[in-house]
Amino acid sequence: MDHEPSRRSFLKLVPLGILAGVFASIGGAAFRFLRPKLSAATDSWLDVASISELTGPQPLSRKIVAEHITGWAITTEEHNVFVLPAKNNQVLSAVCPHEGCEVAWDQNTNRFSCPCHESYFAADGARISGPAPHGLDPLPMRVQDGKLQVQYVAKEQATRA
Amino acid sequence: MTSTFEKASWLEATGGIVGVLLLVQFVTGVLLAFYYVPSVDHAYTTVSYIEKVISSGAWVRSLHHYGSQWLSVFVFIHVIRLFLSRAYLTNKVQWIVGILLLGLVMAAGGTGYSLPWDARAFFSTRIAEGLMAGLPFVGGMARLWLLGGSDISTITLSRFFAVHVLVIPGFVIAVVVWRVFRSNLAEIFGPRHAIAGGVVFLLLALWSLKYRAPLGPSVVEVTAEYLPRPGAQFLWLYQSLKYLPGGLGSLAGVALPGIVLLILVLLPWLKRQRMIGGAILGVGMVLIVVMTTASYLSDLRDPKTSGQLALQEAHEDVWRRNPFNPAPITLAATSAQENASGGPPVMYTKFCANCHGPKGEGARQGQLNFPPLLDVSTKPRRTVDDIVGLLKDPPAYGLEPPMRSFSNKLTEQQMREIGEWIVKLKR
Repeated sequence: MDHEPSRRSFLKLVPLGILAGVFASIGGAAFRFLRPKLSAATDSWLDVASISELTGPQPLSRKIVAEHITGWAITTEEHNVFVLPAKNNQVLSAVCPHEGCEVAWDQNTNRFSCPCHESYFAADGARISGPAPHGLDPLPMRVQDGKLQVQYVAKEQATRA
Repeated sequence: MTSTFEKASWLEATGGIVGVLLLVQFVTGVLLAFYYVPSVDHAYTTVSYIEKVISSGAWVRSLHHYGSQWLSVFVFIHVIRLFLSRAYLTNKVQWIVGILLLGLVMAAGGTGYSLPWDARAFFSTRIAEGLMAGLPFVGGMARLWLLGGSDISTITLSRFFAVHVLVIPGFVIAVVVWRVFRSNLAEIFGPRHAIAGGVVFLLLALWSLKYRAPLGPSVVEVTAEYLPRPGAQFLWLYQSLKYLPGGLGSLAGVALPGIVLLILVLLPWLKRQRMIGGAILGVGMVLIVVMTTASYLSDLRDPKTSGQLALQEAHEDVWRRNPFNPAPITLAATSAQENASGGPPVMYTKFCANCHGPKGEGARQGQLNFPPLLDVSTKPRRTVDDIVGLLKDPPAYGLEPPMRSFSNKLTEQQMREIGEWIVKLKR
């Protein structure tokens, strides 16, 4: 009869222990289940334009269509880029390195301007003023069969590099 | 209190088992909802994604699938135990909660079966439609309300989803809360309940590691030979329906269970409780055991059926070994762009790409060989008209199953778009 109280308190712990075990096993699976999946960086080359149409001193706005695989879905997204015929056809991402808005080319002032926080960039993409930490990001490019092609790099990856 | 209750015994632990299994259904259900999309064009894809890509995904889905079947069995055992201990006299709340849970758990199983939108789900939805339509007087209206329209559609899937994940769990929570607050907490969380619940959970966890939750072919890939089978908790109904002509099946499958549950809920206020309850539960148990056994036996005995079921399992194994294919999401603005740049038409991607490849390159799945569509304009000299014709009637062009007719899936215009894209494909 002496050990009765300790046996009682032990018995009270049993249900708690079992519930903890059930929760721990499902909880472990839940963590793995919910862990975000990083999508692999796409390394496909996307057509920007024919070389022959890229002339003149002004940056030229072009659209590229990139396929992204996120989770179970394939989405096709359009991205704006700027080609600089004056700078050996370098291709700049239109994504502002500050917070990721899309910059626009302003012919009158001869500079890129970001609509969100008033960052400004020169015609070659270099930062002029504003909160942007650096100039517009150049994209990896090549020329294949008379076509200018780029690899699209999302802003998060560009700024991390 | 203690005078009306028998001394706590292991028999009373059925409540603990039901509690733990309900908890498992809630947690795994919430997890599945993080990836599942209740829409006919993405449901199957997202369930496949959970099965093949997500860590522990197959286990979580298996826990939810087999957990629902175990839950049905243990709620039924729980009700029988309550009846034997005369809970309808001594603890009316406990009795009513048990009966309501039985109805809710079966309803959850029925609606949940439709959600993966595989071939089994589609047939199960068809049968629910037929059972509703066959009801006397209200049949037509009941069918429309079940489907949310005049046909099975993505709206039907949304309805089943909302009922399965919001309405039924809401009622389950209400019923369980009612039970918990009307009783002695120490009794509910007693060690026997926890131990029994823990042991059953361990068995279920191991079972779910060994056996994957089944997933049939997608609705667009299903062939006429496919034999759908319901979850184990509905085999008794499935087998009974074989013996009952049309309208009688609806009475047995919908009206009778409803009336039986109502009588059982009202049992505390009826006379001759022992006889009525005993007759219902006794006949019910015999019917369930006999019919479930009969359905297994009839599948085993008929060599043609067992052969087809084995073939379906083999196909599912092949499907599991193949890597997951992400599905295209088409936003209106980009689809025009895609077509202008020579990509496949949306309907090609939806109906044809699974077998013939996203760019018409063909594919192999197990023993099945899906021919490439490249150069069909030169080799068998197919024109756009030919392709439209064979999409309507494949045998007329010498094509064999699994190639099927798409005349009820695609419009003339959509077939023409597919044809115009295919004749341009070159190696």
